[in-house]
Order: sequence, then structure tokens, then C-alpha cells
Amino acid sequence: MATTTEPEISAQPRVSVPASQPAYRHRRRFNWGHLGLYAGLILFGILILMPFAYMLSTALKSRGEVFSKPIKWIPAELQWNNFSDALSQYSMGHYFMNSIIVAVAVTFLNLATCSLAGYGFAKFDYPGRNLMFGIVLATMMIPLASMIIPLFMVVKSFGWVDSYWGLIIPAGTSAFGIFLMRQQMSAIPDDLLNAARIDGASEPRIFLSMVLPNSKTALSSLAIFIFMWNWDSVLWPLLVATGDKYRTLPLGVALFESSYGTNYPQLMAVAFLAMVPVLVVFLVLQRNFIEAMTMQSIKG
Amino acid sequence: MQQVPAVPGAAALPATPRRRGTLSYMQKRNLWGLLFVLPAMIFFAVFAIYPILRTFYLSFFEFSVVDPPRYVGLDNFRGLDGDPRFRASLINSFKYVFSTYIPVWIIALILAMALNTKIRARGLFRTVYFIPVVMSWVVVAAIWKLIFNRQGLMNTLFLDPLGISPKNWLTDVNWAPDAIVIMSVWKEVGFFMVVFLAGLQAIPSDLYEAARVDGSNGWQVFANITIPLLRPTLLFVSVISMITGLQVFVPQWVMTQGGPVDATLVMSLNIYQTAFVFLDGGKAAAMSVVLFFIIGAITLVQFWLARTRD
Repeated sequence: MATTTEPEISAQPRVSVPASQPAYRHRRRFNWGHLGLYAGLILFGILILMPFAYMLSTALKSRGEVFSKPIKWIPAELQWNNFSDALSQYSMGHYFMNSIIVAVAVTFLNLATCSLAGYGFAKFDYPGRNLMFGIVLATMMIPLASMIIPLFMVVKSFGWVDSYWGLIIPAGTSAFGIFLMRQQMSAIPDDLLNAARIDGASEPRIFLSMVLPNSKTALSSLAIFIFMWNWDSVLWPLLVATGDKYRTLPLGVALFESSYGTNYPQLMAVAFLAMVPVLVVFLVLQRNFIEAMTMQSIKG
Repeated sequence: MQQVPAVPGAAALPATPRRRGTLSYMQKRNLWGLLFVLPAMIFFAVFAIYPILRTFYLSFFEFSVVDPPRYVGLDNFRGLDGDPRFRASLINSFKYVFSTYIPVWIIALILAMALNTKIRARGLFRTVYFIPVVMSWVVVAAIWKLIFNRQGLMNTLFLDPLGISPKNWLTDVNWAPDAIVIMSVWKEVGFFMVVFLAGLQAIPSDLYEAARVDGSNGWQVFANITIPLLRPTLLFVSVISMITGLQVFVPQWVMTQGGPVDATLVMSLNIYQTAFVFLDGGKAAAMSVVLFFIIGAITLVQFWLARTRD
């Protein structure tokens, strides 16, 4: 820190656009100084991917082969039947459908409630608006575990235990979603809305035909965020989906694990099948995904 | 937000003459705003505000699913004082937060700085590192349970070559918390890397230029430019880590059920088990209140820090 300057070492490749160069277009040759960087990044990438390779490899092994020493990454004989067995013998397909139904329903419900509320908070003025918005933000810091007992009692009193209703409705809105939509909708010019009003458009019509189309970015981010968040939810479904009928995929995987946990090839096959849909969607939409899942940081 | 909507185009609107007892045009229009907010507010009232208030109320009662509630005053809270499981869960939760997130921040920041250079395939690295973030915790836990098996990857591939005797990762009191931390670091690093990367990219590059012209070394640039300008990001990262980390549930629930000997019993898991396994609702409600205040206090401190500086 207080040392004398060390020009040789300070030739950091980190910001290596030479000051005299006109623009960024000049880098074409491979920078050997980056070699160590690549090595480190690739090594870390291997560490990240290794568990997945291990999962896939185990999913294709016979039970006897799982713990062979030294580790066999490629099984002697690929046991594809682990996958078909996992699908046919245990109702993974059924749990998967439940998860899709619940996550899709929750996502649409959130898109509706959050966009409406975001608009209501952004573009109108009425008594209690700021107070209500404050309450919405305050609910963000309530831990789920802190309200789970009464929440369960509420849902039980509605007769929603072990039903789609119980899984979907309590997750029907999100403070973060409202915050996000309000941010986006505040940016819509008032002139645009007023012009529509002068043309005689009703308020719901303005919302549907002007406000929503102007909020597409936030809506798609919110959709991904809510879907992922719900897809992974465990604590609440664990309480509400008491029987097999409404069990979601994470619970199904967990149940399989507690019942047949030592059958590692099949457990890994189940885990793999549970992972693939999300992985595929992520790889296709990865840019939107990363933005959606980290967008909280923009307005932390 | 504080501005009264001046409505630039308002003057152009048909000026309806206002009669007594009827709503003005603006009032009618604003009523729509209230109507738009209403559905979400109903959800909050029923599924968040009522339950949290009810939790406070119930923490003064002794009740289980079968018995009717009985008022016991502060007994539930007094009971927590000497409760070994509560104590363990409190300590374990904080231990989990610090031993997971400090390594996560350091690794994530290093990766973000490495990816904030002009190297190739940055997008590919970013995607690969982000994969664990989008995976279900349950799936992740299933994989890592196998990795931490006595004959699994961790022992055979990493410890064996180093001459370290194999560990019973998930059944040994000393190692089970570490096993979960290792898994969580692996899962969470990608998320924080992306957040740091966004923060780094917001730092104007001419600042680095200027520092280089002044002959600052890499460490000086890091300590005097990168870290201070990353402050908003660091603040966000610490808030989100504390809030999510203190509420952690799934890894412990799947991997160890809180065991061995409560070594991985964290607060959410303890509340869940106390309420729905041991059926001691009053005690669980009291714990919920404590958790609520811990998280609330931390959030407020963070907001206060954010407001007093810049």
C-alpha cells in the first residue's frame, strides 16, 4: 500500500487498453499473460462441472460399480434402464407435472398481481398509497419460517391442504415483483397515458394495451425469477402436499432419496431427470436468466 | 416518489365541473389505482401480514395441533433461554452464514475480476459457473450426498491422494457442517460472481487508466479503486447473504435432518421440526419471533449503513 511504486509489476493485464491507442479494436493476438488466468478459470470450471459428471456417470452404472476404486468415470456397461426404471417405477413424471402446473400458475398469478400493483403504485395518487407500498416492502423481510405456522392454519381453514390451491394461492404475489414492476412502470411517460385518456381509453384498457407492452423486459425477468424460485421451493410444499397426489418434483426427489437412498444409480438418474428441464431452459435463455436472477442487485 | 404527480397533460383533459358529493375526474381516476393495487394487497393481508401478526400472538400460548391454545405469557421465550436445540440452531445458523459466505465472496470476487478482463470465452465461463445456481437444492443435495459418501468422490479423489484418511462427512459431528458449507459454496459462488461482475463493470475504466498512469500497483488499484467503488455491491451482497443464509433450510433438511447430534440444526429447520414434528407450536412461534427480529434488525442495520454513507 505505502510501498514505492513497482512499475514492472504494475503492468497489470487487467485494464490493458494502451492509453495511446484510439479504440478497443486492437486486440487480435493471443495474450500469453492471460494463460494463467485461463488455467485458473478452467480449473474452477472443472470443479463446478465435476459433480454433474459424477452424477451422470453414476446414473449409468450398475449398483455394484458405484464405489469401484479407482473411480470409473465411464461405466463398463451403460445401464440406461436406470432412467427408464426411475420414470416407470416411481411417479417422477407425475411429480414433474405437478411442479410444472404449480410453478406456471404461480408465475402467471404473480405477473398479474405484481404488474397491476406496480402500475397502481407508480402512476396514481390516493390516500394510503405510500403507507401500503411501505408495508409491501416490509413484508420482504419476513422469513417464511417465521409465519409458516399461522400460514399453514390459514390454508387449512380454507380446506386447501393437499390441493393445488394450497400450493399456488399463498405464493400469488411477491413484494419484490411489485417493486420491480413499479420501477419499470414509473419510467413510462405520463403524456403517453394521458394521450390515451383523451382518446377515451378506459383505465383497464390503458393498462392492457399500453402499460403492459411497455413493461416486457421487467415482466419476462419477473417470470423467470418467480418460476425458478417456485420450482425450487421445498418448505411450503412439504407442509401442504401431504399425500402423493400433489407432491412436487423436489419433494419427489427427496422422498426417493429417503426411501431408496442407497440405490445411488437410480437416485442419480432421478436427480438427473429432475435437473435436465431447468438446465435446458437455462442454456437456451441464459442471458435473460442471469439478468433475472441477479436483478435484485440493480436496485439493492 | 415524493412528487405529487403533476400530470403534464392534465391541463389538456376535459375539465369536468365538480359538484358536491361527487368525485372529481382525478379522484375517480386515482380510484382505479387503488383498485389495481387491491388484489396484491389482499394476498399480502391474508398470506403475510395476518400470519406474522398471528405468530406474535401465538408465541404467548402453549398449543399443539390437537390441544386448544393456553395462554402462558412469556413462558415460551423463557423456555428458549436454556433450550439446547434453540441455542444450537442459533449458533449453527450464524456459523453457516459466515463459513459459507465469506469464502463465497472471496472466490466470487476473484472470478469476477478475472472475467472482467479482455479474455475470450467470458460468456462460456460465466454460464458454466452459473449452472449450480439454477439447480434445485434438492437435486444438488442428492448429488453431494453421494460425493460425501465414505467411498464417494470427496474421499477417494481429493483426500486419498493427499494421504488424509477418509472421513464420514455426513455422520461425523465435526465434519457434517463443513460438508454442507462446501456444497453451498459450490452452489452459490456463481450467483455472487455475476453480481460482482455487474458491479465491476459499472466502475469507469478511466479511473483504472489514471491509476496506471500514476504508477499504482495491482494491490493499490484493488484497495483504493475497486473496493471503494464496489461498496454498493458489497452492501447488497452482505444483506442478501445474511438474509438468505439465516433462513437456510433445504441443504440441512435433505443432507442431515439437522444431525448428527444437532450439528447442522439451523433455525428454519428447528422451527419446522418443533412445530410440525414435535408439535410444540408455542415454542416454534417464539423461535419464529426471534428469527423475525434477528433478520429485521440485520436488514435495518444494512439500510441504515446504506443511508448514512453516500
